[in-house]
Parts: sequence; structure tokens; C-alpha cells
Amino acid sequence: MKNFKRFALISTIATYALIFIGGLVRVSGAGLGCPDWPKCFGRWFPPTNISQLPPDIDPATFNFTLAWIEYFNRLVGVSIGILILITTILAVKYYRKAPKILYPSIAALLLVAYQGWQGGQVVESELKPIFVSIHMVLALVIASILIYVTQQSYYLERPEADRQAIFPRGTHVWMGLLWLAGMVQVILGTQVREGLEILQEKFPLLAKAEFRDYIGPTNYIHAVLGIVLTLATIIAGYLILKKSRYLTNLVRDSVWGLIVLILAQLAVGLALVTAGLPSLMQLFHLWIASLYMGVLFVLFSAFRRRPGGDHAARA
Amino acid sequence: MPQERRFPLGLLIGIIAAIIMGLGGLLIIGLAENSRSQLPLLGRVPDFEFIAQDGSPFGLDDMKGRISIVDFIFTSCQTICPPMSAHMQDFYEQFEGTDKIQFISITVDPERDSLSVLRQYAQDLGVDDNRWKFLWQPVEKVVWLSEKGFMISARELPGGHSSRFVLVDPDGIIRGYYDGVEEQSMKILLGDIRKLAKRI
Repeated sequence: MKNFKRFALISTIATYALIFIGGLVRVSGAGLGCPDWPKCFGRWFPPTNISQLPPDIDPATFNFTLAWIEYFNRLVGVSIGILILITTILAVKYYRKAPKILYPSIAALLLVAYQGWQGGQVVESELKPIFVSIHMVLALVIASILIYVTQQSYYLERPEADRQAIFPRGTHVWMGLLWLAGMVQVILGTQVREGLEILQEKFPLLAKAEFRDYIGPTNYIHAVLGIVLTLATIIAGYLILKKSRYLTNLVRDSVWGLIVLILAQLAVGLALVTAGLPSLMQLFHLWIASLYMGVLFVLFSAFRRRPGGDHAARA
Repeated sequence: MPQERRFPLGLLIGIIAAIIMGLGGLLIIGLAENSRSQLPLLGRVPDFEFIAQDGSPFGLDDMKGRISIVDFIFTSCQTICPPMSAHMQDFYEQFEGTDKIQFISITVDPERDSLSVLRQYAQDLGVDDNRWKFLWQPVEKVVWLSEKGFMISARELPGGHSSRFVLVDPDGIIRGYYDGVEEQSMKILLGDIRKLAKRI
């Protein structure tokens, strides 16, 4: 069922694009571009000029650019929701007997529906930091589930893929641990950002570069864990490439991708600290983190495969 | 079985996509920043000559070069003035570190609010420097400045004065009106002050 794999892959890629767009909403300060949800200024299509605003809305709060940035995020979000819906319908239709595809597909659909509603909560709470962080973490979870579904559908087509490979014992455990540590690091990162926002409220005239000095221990822990994670990733990657045999291109490329991503992430993190937190760097810092988590998930699934076993994938 | 190495097309696509996304991101961040820093130009404050609580003259020239937040109050008012002055006081304390932002409260009850009454009112609010001025003139001049200068109503004074705060940029141009008793409106004012502050 090639269509399924295609839909699952497109949903995954589109979800990563949406994570980028969501980050863009954040760093461009467009989160409240539409002050209501699901409509935007009381309309399904954002106003293009002040005369279209509902009478109870103060025209001073309307910003055309910010409204459209936020609206675009919602539009892409809805499109991805539809993509995931189609993926799930296909899964129900063709993979009723393959629980590794069926259940994660349904979970992704439920989560993306919840994510849409939760996005409304983010707006209604006027961007309460904890709500924004939950929105981000949920997006990462949805992306990981979609990766899993895509990969399982790939394995269904090629049942022997990644089964012949020989690699150090417990490698998948290491990948899982790195994924968990990555998630902790993402949550810490959202804490650093929350701290920044609270400071910005309190001291609007402080330059961004000066905020760093006021953030406190979370910032420090985030930086240290970042370096530890970088080293752990490089060592794990090196050992896998060195000690494994018969790796597929998928796994080998993923390992290299993981190393490149973690180095890029470290570089962007350092640039953030030294260059005074430029918005674009913040955006890439968040996005690279989400890609890193995704690639880890690919490797986790690949290393869990054993020769012979795993009947579900062959169902 | 090991597969043949092929041209890393995925990597190439990835790099190109990252560059496009980076440029697109830069463009949108730039557009957003630009749109946010554009406060409307609502009118020019005319030349005026009032007297501050310390007896010194205060006019349009004293507003130039600084961001000013202006309101109309009277000291014996028990309704909207206390929350208005409390909000003004919050800003006054928040921007303690800079003299680039000043606060101007104009009395709409000049008969009762003599300069000494204004001085006491200022002192009660904790004003201990030049950043918050309390201005005085006879009532007809106050009505003129309110209606013709800041374009806010001033009928049946003192009780009928406006609850609005007026944001004036360092060129003496009105950039926004905010409800001085409304919390949300004060948040918007804070954001707008921030935008203007970036330019000085």
C-alpha cells in the first residue's frame, strides 16, 4: 500500500514544517496576532483592513502582518490535521491487522485534534508560558509518532530491512535514553525561554543580551546538559559506525544526520549566547532540536528490530 | 546486506531547504518586527505653556526628545483617578532607570488643585524626581489642551474628564490612546512604550 507510506511520509515532513512555522509565530511575536480562536478577529478569514474589524475590538490591537502569520500557522495546522486524518483512514482500511501502524496512526490523529484545541488554549491564556511549552512538546510527540508510523510502513514493504545488521548490544536503549534526555533538554529550553519572557515583561528596556545574566540556574543546566548530550551523541554515533556491520543506508545516514544535527545545535546554542539571542537563531535552535529527536526515534526503531521476530510488522 | 552508497541527494535537499527556511524566517521576522514598530501617527501636540508643580514652566519643548505618557486628573477625584494614577505610578516605578520616559498629569480642577496641592499629591505618589510632572493652568486652557491638543473630551469638568492615557513620541506626535483604568490596555501601552523606546 504505497499510498499509505506516501501519506505518512508527507504528514511527517509537513509536521516538521509546521514546527518551524510554529516557532516562527513564537519568535516573531505573532502568537496573539489573532486574539480569538478558532476565528481571527471574529472572522474565518482575517481582516485585511481596519474597517472589517468587529465593533467591539479596539483597532489599535490589530496588526495585519501578525494576524496573517498566526493565521497561516492555523491554516497549515488544519491541513496537517487533514493529512493525518487521511493517513489514519488508510491505516484503518488497510492495516487493521498491523497494530504497529494502526494504533500509532489513531494516536496521532487524536493528538493532533487535541493539539488544535490546545492551540486555542494557548491563545485564550494570552500565551501563558506553560501552555506554549505543552504545545511545543506535543508537537514533538506527534512528529515522533508519525516517524514511527512511516518507518513501520517502510519495514512492512521490506520485512528484512535492518534485520541483518550487527550492532553493539543495547544500542536501542542508548537511543531511547538520548531521546528522553533530549526531551528533558527541550523542556529545560522552554524554561529558559519562559524566564526570558518574564524578564522582558519586567524590564522592557533591558537589551536581550543582558537578559542572559538574569536567567539563573536553568540556563546553566541547559548549557551543561547540551554539551553532555553532544558528547554522548558523538560517542554513540562513533561506536555504532565503528562496531556495526551491514548497516542500511537509512541507519548510516541517520547516524551521520544525528551527529551533524547535534553539532549544529551546539553551534546555534553558542551563537545564541554570544550574539544576544537573535530571533532566527532561537527558531533554528528549536527546530534542530525537533529534528534531532525525530532522527533518534528512527534509530531507536531500527535498532529494536531483530532477525526473525516481530510478526506484527509482517501481518 | 550493505547497500551501495549513492549521491547524498537527501543531504543536498536538506541544505537547500534549510537555507530557504532561514531566509524565509528572516523575512517574516523582519516583517513582523517592522509591523510592530509601526505605531500610527495620530496627530501633533500643539505648542502650549503650562506650569509644573514646582512652579517651572512646562510646554511642548519639554516633551521633545522623550516619550511622554499624558493623562488628565484632579486630586480630589475618588472614581477613576485613583486607578489611573496607580497605573501611572506603576510605570513611573518600572521606568525608574531612565529619564527618556516621562509622565504628565494635568489637573482638570485648577481652582482646588493649587501648585502646593499638586506637590503634595505628587509626594503621596512617591514622586521624587523630574520624571512625573503635574501641570496647572486655568480651566479654559485645560479644556483647550485636552480637546484641541490631545483630542480627548473635557466636558463638565472636573468630573467629566477622560480616563485615557495619551502616548506621545519624542517628536511631540501622538502615537496611541489607552484606557487608564483598564489592565489590558495598560499592557498594550507597555508594549507600545517598548516599541518607541527602541528608537531612542
